[in-house]
Amino acid sequence: MARRVYLPLALTLCFSAVVIAALWIGGVSVRSGVVSAFDDSANVRTARIRVGDALREQLDEETGVRGYAAVREKILLEPYDEARLTLPLSLQRIGVSLRQLQMTDASQALADAAATSRRWLAVIAVPLISSRTPQRDVQLRGKRLVDRFRSDMNAVEELLAARADRAAQRAQESVLWISLFAACAVLAIILAAAVFAVVQFRLADRLERERARSEEERRAAAEVRAAYETERRIAETLQAGFAQNVLPRLARVRFSATYVPAAEETNIGGDWYDALELSRERVLLAMGDVTGHGIEAAVAMNQTRHLLVACALLDSSPTHVLARVNAELCRSGAPLITALAGVVDVRNFRFAYAAAGHPPPVLWEPGRPARLLDVGSLPLGIVPEAQYQTHVVESVPGALIVLYTDGAVEHSRNVVEGESLLLAAVEAAGQAPSGEAGMIYERIFAGRRIADDVAILTIRFAHENSRSQERAA
Amino acid sequence: MNGDDGIQRIRLTGELEISRKREIRDAFGIVPGAKAALVDLAEVTYADSTALTELLRFCVTAQRDGIPIAVVIRTQQFARLVQYAGLANAFRIFEEPGEALAYLNECVDA
Repeated sequence: MARRVYLPLALTLCFSAVVIAALWIGGVSVRSGVVSAFDDSANVRTARIRVGDALREQLDEETGVRGYAAVREKILLEPYDEARLTLPLSLQRIGVSLRQLQMTDASQALADAAATSRRWLAVIAVPLISSRTPQRDVQLRGKRLVDRFRSDMNAVEELLAARADRAAQRAQESVLWISLFAACAVLAIILAAAVFAVVQFRLADRLERERARSEEERRAAAEVRAAYETERRIAETLQAGFAQNVLPRLARVRFSATYVPAAEETNIGGDWYDALELSRERVLLAMGDVTGHGIEAAVAMNQTRHLLVACALLDSSPTHVLARVNAELCRSGAPLITALAGVVDVRNFRFAYAAAGHPPPVLWEPGRPARLLDVGSLPLGIVPEAQYQTHVVESVPGALIVLYTDGAVEHSRNVVEGESLLLAAVEAAGQAPSGEAGMIYERIFAGRRIADDVAILTIRFAHENSRSQERAA
Repeated sequence: MNGDDGIQRIRLTGELEISRKREIRDAFGIVPGAKAALVDLAEVTYADSTALTELLRFCVTAQRDGIPIAVVIRTQQFARLVQYAGLANAFRIFEEPGEALAYLNECVDA
């Protein structure tokens, strides 16, 4: 969730950082170009003014010397004297400007002009001023030097003019670049803002959808939980009916029972057991397991229990009981049910039972290993005409008979291994004075979680010495 | 139908439990025109009550329709579960598919 929220924000910030960096670099570059273009323009302008000054000063020198040579009036030499001092300074300043502008050609032309000026002073101006007679040849040579000087200076001026044009063009381009850059900056800012707005909108939309989905899932989970709780309560209530069973208490036989529901509440199934005292010597025992779990299994369990007891009251023969119950369950469309019905007769240590798809009882007799008794016939609720056979176990005093549901032997998914564990547990419980059912359960599961319900019901016939004591009493 | 001999072949392996209910129910359906059914459960090691119910219903339907069934069971633990369920006499049980097929062919020819 945090990644979904912060990733778009981080991407937007990164994009903004890149845009800002690009704008900054572009701004610096454009500013540098503009400053350079305007600096060039200023330098060129200054240099051209100085070129004009130099030409004017050179003209002052020439006209002063020519005037003096013609009329020999000292006053006419004043422009010459002044220009003779300022012209070299002007040429020097022009040279500085040209070097700053890195104009090599113009610097060379300027150097030629400066040399020509110095030569004119030496070979033309000084002889003409000092001579008392007109010197026509000197004046002609002087004119040629002056023409050369002006030609060099004009060359400098032309180069400066060309440079001025280029500087103006660069300045113009710089202005265009500034405009373009400003437009790009505005577009980038608009784009960044748009991206940020879109990201924010999508993020908000996604968060809203996730919140709605989460709320929907929470509501659905609550509904499922409520339905499950309801079913669990009903199933537990129905199961509590037999959990409160009170086992018959007879003189020559003792019963013990345990029922442990599945560790997973959703797996609470339809296991049950019943013990009904038919007379002081005979007890009906029933045990069963309804296929499936939850309320349906619990309802079927209660229906079968009541059917079984009702049928047993009419005729307690196990064969008869199971056949009647099976016919009724097939008629009502009940799920598959395994069951065992048996009658204990304490007078002769006999146990007669019939099984319908149910695991076989275990018999332990003192001094003998525990053994599995015969298995039965088809489960209840499938084949209306199914036949059930009554098996009779003639036991001995002190014997232990154990009835159980499949959870006691199928916990490892290997029923052969489960039977071995069960037989060992029964043999251990055979030595115990009481609490056999709980002991067998503990011996098999030893604190392990169980995946299915487990019901265990034991029948312990009294020992001979107990019977003797009873008879004596 | 898996062959030209009119014998429907059903094969399931592993642990048959409620999580495979649909697969088991689909498998235990009699194909129209089948003269016999071979149910190969040789590699089944466990079956819960749901799977046993489907097997039992399949057998009941087949017997009602007069279709002989042969079931191949090889693992001791599954054979014991079949005994528990009282199914040991509900159909013929073999340890090898070949034997089961031979038995069914005899039934079909008869």
